[in-house]
Amino acid sequence: MTKHLVVAGAALLLAGSPALAQRGRAGGAGAEANAAAAAKPTPRAADGHPDLTGLWAGGAEPVKALAPGESTRILFPVRTGPDDKRIFDEMDRAAKERQAAEPNKPPYKPELMEKVQLLSDKRQFNDPSFYCKPLGVPRMGPPSQVVQSPGLVVLLYQGRNTFRTIPTDGRAHNADADWTWNGDSVGRWDGDTFVIDTTKLVEDSWLGADGWFHSNKMHVVERLTRKGDTLTWSATVDDPVVFTKPWEMTPRTLRLNPNAKALLEEDPPCLEQDGPHIVTDDHH
Amino acid sequence: MKQILWTAGLIVALSGAAAPALAHHSLQSEYDINQSITLKGTVTKVDWVNPHVYVYLDVKDDKGVVTKWAVTTLPPGNLRRGGLTRDLLGYGETVSILAFRARDGANLAFLRTITFADGHKLEIWLGDATKENP
Repeated sequence: MTKHLVVAGAALLLAGSPALAQRGRAGGAGAEANAAAAAKPTPRAADGHPDLTGLWAGGAEPVKALAPGESTRILFPVRTGPDDKRIFDEMDRAAKERQAAEPNKPPYKPELMEKVQLLSDKRQFNDPSFYCKPLGVPRMGPPSQVVQSPGLVVLLYQGRNTFRTIPTDGRAHNADADWTWNGDSVGRWDGDTFVIDTTKLVEDSWLGADGWFHSNKMHVVERLTRKGDTLTWSATVDDPVVFTKPWEMTPRTLRLNPNAKALLEEDPPCLEQDGPHIVTDDHH
Repeated sequence: MKQILWTAGLIVALSGAAAPALAHHSLQSEYDINQSITLKGTVTKVDWVNPHVYVYLDVKDDKGVVTKWAVTTLPPGNLRRGGLTRDLLGYGETVSILAFRARDGANLAFLRTITFADGHKLEIWLGDATKENP
């Protein structure tokens, strides 16, 4: 038997892809599934706050391995037939269309737009994540899993096997913290919303693949809100060095993995080997 | 029996402003779709790593001269969701690989199909399965 499998497309060539399978779409069936999940009761911790604990990634069904000797066909979805000689070009074109249609871009100062464009045009040589560096906060987006306990919330990200520990005991930022990719975070509750305040973020990371750089003065406030079996992540990014005003990132809503036995899988290591062989400026 | 499983539909979801890196690099920038090559050899190593899985191959010519090739494909997460594990990629086996050569002339290519000695095949590729012949 030959299986034809069209894999979850957005993960293509992505070094780790947190929270893919349960991510709700902006409309259509995803929105309906999100609404149904949100209508369920919201569990609460002993302190009365919503309990964010759960696996917010992965598929409901465990991944089945093929049997030895079994044929298969795995297609990454591209809007053209597998034998179309334009298939590589089509991938780039489709990705550029999506990026051009993106309505929510960071509000860079006008004098920095040329730099953003230059970085974007040469992203294959400039994007830190391309060469296996971390995505960092906030580009890493919402967590794949949350473990909430009194005084501490642990965020786990499948991509690059990343963790963050967020104290909720009322402490202030660590004045002695060094600048890092995920920064120094403290958490607090604002009603039913968990708010994470992060500073001390290195300027080495980007906010997106379009050359969206930032300074080490960046300040990020993330919000996690659980409604039923949905978790909505949003973030406000303020960087007075490069932005004209704070940037509200596009929120994302995840659904709880319905399989109570599902576990977060280890992300294989990242070893970039393509850079030396890239000979044109074509990019997604 | 052919079984078509659509687990796609996530591109829209990931087109949001700061979705994690949508893609690694452009295949167009590294590989030539017009230079297909068939490599017959022994798989000497499988690198099950991000951002791309690599299969290494020793290809012996008629005179017994061995040439080393690297063939790359999708990320391990994509292969995993497709049911593949690293031990299914033919380590130690003699295989025939259809791939597309790197533009820089290196012994490097982008995988399309691995055919094993017993005839079974793994096609790991791109495209819309509803548009086989556009």
